[in-house]
Amino acid sequence: MPYQINRRDLIRIGAGAVLAAPAAFGADAPKFFTPAEFAMLDELTESIIPADDHSPGARAAKVAAYIDARLAEAFEAKDRDDWRNGLKLVDDLSGKMHDRPFMEASPEQRVAVLTRMAKNEMNAKTPEEVFFGELKHATAHAYYTSKIGIHQEMEYKGNVMLEEFVGYEVK
Amino acid sequence: MSDEVDLKKTYDAIVVGSGAAGGMAAHVLTSHGMQVLMLEAGKKLNINKELKSMEWPYDHPRRGDMPPDSHPLSGSEYTIRQPPYAKGSPYKHVYSYVEDGNGSDYAKNIVVDEKDHPYTGTQYAWVRARCLGGKTNIWGRLALRLSDYDFKAASRDGYGEDWPISYADISPYYDKVDLYLGISGHKENLPQLPDSIFQRAVRLNPAEVKLRESLVKMGRVLTPYRAGVTTDGVKHNKYRVHCYGRGACDRRVGGCDIHAAFDSPTGLIYPALDTGNLTLRTNATVSEVTVDKDTGKASGVSFIDTDTGQAYTAKGRTVLLAASTLESARLMLLSKSSQYPNGIGNSSGHVGHNFCEHLMGPGVSGLDKELVGKPRTLDDGRPGSFYLPRFRNLTDRNPKFLRGYGFEGGSGTGMFPDNAFGTPGFGSAYKKTVRDYAGAFIGMGGFGEVLPRYENYVDLDPEVKDRWGVPVLRFQIKFGDNEKKMAADMADSAREMFEAAGIEVLNVSRDILTEGYSIHELGTARMGTDPKKSVVNQFQQSHDVKNLLVVDGSTHVSASCQNPTWTIMALCWRSCDHLADELKKGNV
Repeated sequence: MPYQINRRDLIRIGAGAVLAAPAAFGADAPKFFTPAEFAMLDELTESIIPADDHSPGARAAKVAAYIDARLAEAFEAKDRDDWRNGLKLVDDLSGKMHDRPFMEASPEQRVAVLTRMAKNEMNAKTPEEVFFGELKHATAHAYYTSKIGIHQEMEYKGNVMLEEFVGYEVK
Repeated sequence: MSDEVDLKKTYDAIVVGSGAAGGMAAHVLTSHGMQVLMLEAGKKLNINKELKSMEWPYDHPRRGDMPPDSHPLSGSEYTIRQPPYAKGSPYKHVYSYVEDGNGSDYAKNIVVDEKDHPYTGTQYAWVRARCLGGKTNIWGRLALRLSDYDFKAASRDGYGEDWPISYADISPYYDKVDLYLGISGHKENLPQLPDSIFQRAVRLNPAEVKLRESLVKMGRVLTPYRAGVTTDGVKHNKYRVHCYGRGACDRRVGGCDIHAAFDSPTGLIYPALDTGNLTLRTNATVSEVTVDKDTGKASGVSFIDTDTGQAYTAKGRTVLLAASTLESARLMLLSKSSQYPNGIGNSSGHVGHNFCEHLMGPGVSGLDKELVGKPRTLDDGRPGSFYLPRFRNLTDRNPKFLRGYGFEGGSGTGMFPDNAFGTPGFGSAYKKTVRDYAGAFIGMGGFGEVLPRYENYVDLDPEVKDRWGVPVLRFQIKFGDNEKKMAADMADSAREMFEAAGIEVLNVSRDILTEGYSIHELGTARMGTDPKKSVVNQFQQSHDVKNLLVVDGSTHVSASCQNPTWTIMALCWRSCDHLADELKKGNV
């Protein structure tokens, strides 16, 4: 549980900001990341929550665009630096493990990189492990608050007028 | 709806504050035909525009988070840092914690900006809502009665003071509150938690039924959340409709845009305005209760226009403080005069003292394995899930601590799968695990009675002032030994109850959250029979100043472990009936 609280605090401090109109969110061109960084973030989020036979994944839910837009307007410049640096850490690790940047690695090699980063997830220590936590939290938050996440993946049936409360009467 | 105060007129009553207590005072006094002036320090908000109860996360640009220049204090900031919490913050606005990370943007205009409203002293999570209706716009809605286990607690265990009333005195007024506002719940016939006159109860889900059935064997009870929500409707009130189970109550900071959940504006103030006897002035920060030099009685109040800073004085035959527990004490301490050098109504020296509240933090979360992978139920359509009433120090006596605690709990499927953050791994397996387990979790957290102690107090800071130049409160409030021992027992008993029910325990939390976290601050102007040891009498009338009443949570003698709002309103109704009677008799 402390892990969750830390993560929630991190993302809250990390992603504070907005200047643009709501309509600008999810637009195609990245607002903060370079196109190459954005493509890598998109791939990372899809690796964390992929499309499966149940529902589309993070890419279809435009998770990277949401993270990018929040960072573009973040109050603290440090948050942007941390994410840019985080992507570099992923490339560095991929270089060490497979002699090539993350995006040039094979699907199996990418999974190996993420597996290494996720090794101590509940007790992250190295910068790569810490970044994985942040990346995963932001991805999960954006995905499960998206249209796809709520309606297709979780098949949520609420937020409507109900005739009757659900559940069991107490006897 | 008049916003204009007639400064020449002497109102029958001036009510300071518009929350549960202020709204109730306005309702009862106007019903008696009295001319009432209500002064609220904050704005009148278009509350439905703030709450946007049905908005989907993806239709909000920041999925419910505040704008970038604004910062909601997180729970941990209250313990890491010292008040004033906004001091030195680079953010333009810093807000009280409001379930941080859970739709804070919807409450940003409801709670105060800490930059304008500092306080000093010991660490304290002080959540204030300055707007019409105050905290009732976002309250947790758990509406419980107190019993003689609370009112006569001192006689039972020797600690502190009894209340000057018993359950029999307040019971008819609880009934009135139930019928006028509506409350949902299930009859349990418990002596420590008397039943209300309930409307349709919320239902339980499978994990909750399992826990309820197991608890019966231990002689304990899990009851559907007793919500201050009208589930069958209140036909006499045109501003409210019954609950439709839409379920935004727990997803966000609270609030209900169809007003099935009680809030003071639609439940009490608008109907009071319709009588024609109520004058409402918002943006009016009361800074002092004024005194008639000849009689020593309260003559009215001074207030500052929140926007312009202009000062005014309004006249009243009686003054009722309902500014919230700590703000009402602050106002009494601010009202110094030659007659009342320690503050009005404070000859006892007890104003600001005998503070009490509820401690929070210890609790348990668990997994009902039978539900993993099963089709998820929809558990988001309820105004609350369950309540587990006090079981300690009723028939037995715990050797380690006095008084007791109850648990509030929840379980099942909401809109957001919280386990997405705690489930390890990534990829298809991770995604499927989140999906399969999302509806199988159950958790509960304790609310424990904090003993009132004279040493726990607030006073005025000699130097720091708020944005309007009014001295701020300085806290000297710390949990004591009884609270720590109770907290340890809360964690242990929570685990024990889950294990007995066959619920797999995932996490037991043992830490006590910062003082104030429960937002149930009580005491500081307690009622009693002895003017040397208490501030008001059983009708919340100042011992020193007969036409001054304190009708909010300030007058609680002890905190009980039951949530205070329903009791605040029942007491206020009783006191206002009494006041109207006394005025007729010419006794005030």
